[in-house]
Amino acid sequence: MSAELAAALAAEEAAIYAYGALGVHLTRDTDRDAARAAEQIHRARRDVLISRLAELNASTAPAPAGYDLPFPVTDRATALRLAVHVEDGVAQAWRATLPVTTGPDRATALSALTDAAVRATRWRRTAGITPLTMPFPGRPS
Amino acid sequence: MGRRTGISRRRALGLTAGATVALTAPAGCGLFDTEPEPLPEPDPLQPILDEALALATAFDRAAAAQPTLTARLLPLAEDHRAHAIELARVIGTAAASAAPSASAAPVAPTPAGLRAAEQAAARTATTAARTAPPERVGLLGSIAACRATHAEALRS
Repeated sequence: MSAELAAALAAEEAAIYAYGALGVHLTRDTDRDAARAAEQIHRARRDVLISRLAELNASTAPAPAGYDLPFPVTDRATALRLAVHVEDGVAQAWRATLPVTTGPDRATALSALTDAAVRATRWRRTAGITPLTMPFPGRPS
Repeated sequence: MGRRTGISRRRALGLTAGATVALTAPAGCGLFDTEPEPLPEPDPLQPILDEALALATAFDRAAAAQPTLTARLLPLAEDHRAHAIELARVIGTAAASAAPSASAAPVAPTPAGLRAAEQAAARTATTAARTAPPERVGLLGSIAACRATHAEALRS
């Protein structure tokens, strides 16, 4: 279980970095508020994972100082695409924890998966990307 | 005392109350041959499959009734059909012969009615996912998440 939770932690840390990088390109207040709220949730999930991994005596790699973004983020459109991309990635990482978790850990994973998928849908709507939904959020593509 | 012994013997034979009829069947009929097949326990995924089929139908109906919403609703119907196919595969029944949605509540074919149905269906799938075996939980988690995204997509 620790390996999967550590991968979820890495995805949450990448999401926090990405929201920092994309936030400056969001020009509308509503977009910026949504990005800030999302970043806060990713920070909270990260903190939960760090404590849980500490309880399990699992070692975790320190978060990298920087990341290579999957594509250049230069304006609102690419910023919104990155937001969709990171939420899809977070959903995948949490889904991978489901088979190895039970009880409260599984409940956390289920709500993290659903939350990320719902935020991805919101960002798609904001960006005008269709379809808004995918049949199996979190399933590796 | 004798009664209790009788009951325990029936239990030991693994017979249900209904099957005791077979004990009095004329000789010549094999005692165990005539035992009715026990009804198979429904698969715990069956209610999720029923919901997927009911939702797909409700979206089709709503799209037909309101052509301006067709482009918005049909991709959601497709998601539900994809769920039904996967669920039927995992349960081991053919999607085509999957039971009609007898157990699923009827859905009002309006955006608000569909949204409420998606929220309820997301809860059903989440509840099932909490205790599902490892080989099924990924599918259930994705279906729960998808239904929640549908509820979001239906917000006006």
